[in-house]
Amino acid sequence: MIGQSAILAPIVALAAWTMVMWLWMYATRIPAMRRAKIDVARLTGGVGKDLDKVLPPGVQWKAHNYNHLLEQPVLFYAITLVLAMVGAGGGFNLALAWAYVGLRIAHSIVQATINRVAVRFTLFALASLCLAALTLHAAIIVF
Amino acid sequence: MNTQILAPATVLILWTLVMLVWMAATRLPAMAKMGPAAMAKPGSRGVDLEGVIADRINWKAHNYAHLMEQPTLFYAVVVILAMLGVGSEIAIGLAWTYVASRIVHSLWQASVNTIPIRLAIFAIGSLCLLGLAVIAAMAALS
Repeated sequence: MIGQSAILAPIVALAAWTMVMWLWMYATRIPAMRRAKIDVARLTGGVGKDLDKVLPPGVQWKAHNYNHLLEQPVLFYAITLVLAMVGAGGGFNLALAWAYVGLRIAHSIVQATINRVAVRFTLFALASLCLAALTLHAAIIVF
Repeated sequence: MNTQILAPATVLILWTLVMLVWMAATRLPAMAKMGPAAMAKPGSRGVDLEGVIADRINWKAHNYAHLMEQPTLFYAVVVILAMLGVGSEIAIGLAWTYVASRIVHSLWQASVNTIPIRLAIFAIGSLCLLGLAVIAAMAALS
């Protein structure tokens, strides 16, 4: 893979991980909805967060993280595509992108299981620093 | 490929990270005042702070979250325009106006936050986005 497109690999990895969380959410939430005697056949117009009041927190944590993966990572996708298009998707930027993906996967596992806020906060802050560094590198190049 | 239009997208990502820092800088001290209870309960999230800490502090968080809603469409359309090689003055002007409107929108939502003005700023940004989407659609279909 050439330098500028190598950074597409961590993009694909994080998108694939998001699909893993989507499956994990279904695998825990659908049985929990059945146990909570929710009549899915007649359910009209609800949204996922309505289940926060009904299902055990540990079940909803998977959903919280799935939603979370569609927040800040969208900035990651945008900035890594910018870096790929300006030919700066290798070297240190590639390492930062993989670090971001690794930290987000660790963040998912923590949020979906023990969900200690201090640990989650630390992983999120470290990932945000990687994202900030990628963004600064992109800004230096595009200006 | 035209990479000129990537500059406004990069600025908006930087701005979102500024809002992240502004959110942290106001919310973490407010949580510290709540004592260890703020972070003690496993699984608590930002939305759990609604009605618990001052509204004005949560406004920064509302805007940070908002910056990952509609702007995701902006990033998509800008990447499409760059790949299609569209770098017309009007497209680049619309992209910069969108970014400027979102920065003003952030400052308003994080500080004064009356709705008619916020709505007007949001509408200006949305019209710019609409213009970019039409330009991209014309370029993609031509």
